[in-house]
Amino acid sequence: MIPVRCFTCGKVISSSWEEFRQRRDAGEDPKEILDDLGLSRYCCRRMLLAHKEIIDDLNPFQ
Amino acid sequence: MQISFSRLDDTIARFVLRGATPAFANTLRRTMIGEVPTLAIDDVFIYDNNSALFDEIVAHRLGLVPLRTDLDEYVMRDTCSCGGEGCSGCTAIYTLSVEGPKMVYSSDLIPQDPQAAPVVDNIPLVKLEKEQKVVLEARAVLGKGISHAKWQPTLACGYKEYPIITVDKKCDGCAMCVDECPRGVLEVVKDSVRVVEGKLEDCSLCRLCERICKSEGTWDEPAIHITQDATRFIFVVESDGSLSVKEIVERALREIRSKSESLVDVLSDISGGNGNDEI
Repeated sequence: MIPVRCFTCGKVISSSWEEFRQRRDAGEDPKEILDDLGLSRYCCRRMLLAHKEIIDDLNPFQ
Repeated sequence: MQISFSRLDDTIARFVLRGATPAFANTLRRTMIGEVPTLAIDDVFIYDNNSALFDEIVAHRLGLVPLRTDLDEYVMRDTCSCGGEGCSGCTAIYTLSVEGPKMVYSSDLIPQDPQAAPVVDNIPLVKLEKEQKVVLEARAVLGKGISHAKWQPTLACGYKEYPIITVDKKCDGCAMCVDECPRGVLEVVKDSVRVVEGKLEDCSLCRLCERICKSEGTWDEPAIHITQDATRFIFVVESDGSLSVKEIVERALREIRSKSESLVDVLSDISGGNGNDEI
């Protein structure tokens, strides 16, 4: 799961994750999406850019 | 001491603090981060959780959800009249009961006190598959950022000394520093460099302009000088939404006052009860 807040500054970034993923998968430039979502600091931007969702890989083994 | 706001809305403030010392500016910053109380979930009673996340992870994620805080409604648990047991005066109770397949969001937290609802409704907490469920009760208490970051009301909270940019007469307007400045603070007008109007506060004091002027110019000392005014500070305070920025600044200043008054009391106690004048 995406971390609730940015590790560095504490801004809530998880609420932007689903929109970010949808738009990125639709082929939009991540820079544009992040600017759109109001994530101006690079600490918050890397949270979404560098995230890999693995909960769907874990769920079959529950 | 004087504060003038150049920007003030609910979640972000930018202001200049004048006539202060660096020590006071740092005190204000630290107090805003660490001493202004907010609500955050602290105890979680998990009745059922067979999701992919461990109980601890779910509890940790719940703790980080920012909650709207009315500081007139709640008091710190250790000073509450209930004696630390937990009552409606110091504790906000939430219930969460979700069955999969579904993504659990912060909006699924049902608060007993609607005033203390989560600030953001669409924080994903855990993804549930078929036949998975989470049933829990969470209790939020007031706390201070100094004991855990989940109680910090601020996000980016910092200050810099006010920049002073002076350009010598020997400047020939080569515009090397204008290209070098990452913040676009400088411009060339009539063969001399000057600060773009209204951009002075954007200067990050990186001194790249000084360096390029010194290395590329024909002189030993640069024609542009960046200094700092140690009595004026540009503050930026951002709130996570639990409190308004205005309230954070006000509460922090009040906290500084009460702390310094109690310091005076302690010092006068030590010096035998009549130390007020000496301090």
